[in-house]
Amino acid sequence: MTFVVPIGPQHPALKEPEFFRFEVRGEEIVDVDIHLGYAHRGIEEAFSRRNYKHNIYLSERICGICNVVHSTTYCQAVEQLAGVEPPERAKYIRAIIMELERIHSHLLWLGIAAHQIGFNTLFMLAWRDREYVMDLREMISGGRVHSATNTIGGVRRDVKIEHVPTFLRGLEKLEQSTNYYINLFKSDRTILARCTNLGVLSKEDAIKFCTVGPTARASGLKTDIRRDDPYGAYDALSFDVAIERDGDVWAKGMVRLREILESIQIVRQALKEMPGGPIRIRVGLQIPPNETIERTEAPRGELLYYIRSNGTEIPERVRVRTPTYGNFASMKSMFVGGTIAEIPIVIWGIDPCFACNDRVTLVDSRTGKTRIASFDELRRWRK
Amino acid sequence: MPRILSQVLKNLLRKPATVKYPYVRVKPPKGYRGAPVIDKEKCIRCWLCIRACPDRAISVNKETKKPSIWHGRCTFCGECAEVCPTRAITMTEDFELATYDIQRARSE
Repeated sequence: MTFVVPIGPQHPALKEPEFFRFEVRGEEIVDVDIHLGYAHRGIEEAFSRRNYKHNIYLSERICGICNVVHSTTYCQAVEQLAGVEPPERAKYIRAIIMELERIHSHLLWLGIAAHQIGFNTLFMLAWRDREYVMDLREMISGGRVHSATNTIGGVRRDVKIEHVPTFLRGLEKLEQSTNYYINLFKSDRTILARCTNLGVLSKEDAIKFCTVGPTARASGLKTDIRRDDPYGAYDALSFDVAIERDGDVWAKGMVRLREILESIQIVRQALKEMPGGPIRIRVGLQIPPNETIERTEAPRGELLYYIRSNGTEIPERVRVRTPTYGNFASMKSMFVGGTIAEIPIVIWGIDPCFACNDRVTLVDSRTGKTRIASFDELRRWRK
Repeated sequence: MPRILSQVLKNLLRKPATVKYPYVRVKPPKGYRGAPVIDKEKCIRCWLCIRACPDRAISVNKETKKPSIWHGRCTFCGECAEVCPTRAITMTEDFELATYDIQRARSE
């Protein structure tokens, strides 16, 4: 005898609307359905109604937390279509801002994860330290969240020499606090009790469901677009890919914390090795007909842009595949066999970002009964 | 237990991490992209800002024939300030733009 527990669209784990339909036997979860589409904003259609330059700001608005990586991927794709190469200095500035974004995204993840397991002190501490990196971002780009730094053919703002000491001081503080969190993650009883052996994703399943980013790396898959398919300045920068083998929520957190340390190293290295020269080149917006694919490593995993141009100032089609979408298929194998109490932290374990994901609908159903129900719901949505 | 005590003492002596916002104001850093303002004297009516604006926040006042920016729609990207040939548009450090009056949500 199984019961159905609907969670969402407004639910306790996240501040974003999403519908999860859990089938439970007692406390145990036996099946899960995920319905997406509550935050659909029609962004891909809007892309093909604006010119290439206006679309930079639209692509930044797909996701607030990872806005720089969205606009960088978009700009790199358009640069490929136009057949231009941005100056070296612009590539380094992009890398610096993207790594700062990774640091702030992972600290945000740590804070919310601590909040999900009822450890609000750690939530406050993590978000306090996140302010250091937000201040650095504000200093370098002029905006706390939306950097608006990228443009087609380079970046709009240079890193000034007087910023560097402030940068190094901020990174020092961040490194100290990240080391403290890593120790805490290894030793604190609350974290160990609430995070280990929860939502385990085995390496085989991680390969089978094509997971990306920290979720895959926590299961022992050594995959990182920065290393596998270097873009921008990343082939000149050296860094390690952090992996863990356990595949549970603890491993996902540990991968993210170790990535913060790597990102701090990358920013230091980029500041040191940054070449001089111009930061942007002029690119004409009349882009010849062609199509391209560009992928980058967002804080949550692989981000893919497909753009088709048709000779005008407006792209014909822009398709975005966000990392959260790549990780959704693996959710079922994380949940099945677990208990209801672990739902929030396991959902948050993949660092889902529904707003950047909602341009598709995914229905994952096993029994015939659920399939009919979900089709009915689908039909109602289409009206 | 000793670990906790040292942390407690440290936190007692530490300054708060937050500021009491309406009374204490943190000045934004140099180069912050706040509300854009237009210097009407410098404007030469080339309308490049209207073309550059990604969210069509700039419109032309029919009587004075000068542009004005609707802050309710502006995303503070700074493209208009960058494209302006006479530097008539500048990004200020003003970020407190909430208002009940729609006329005040528009740059003069």
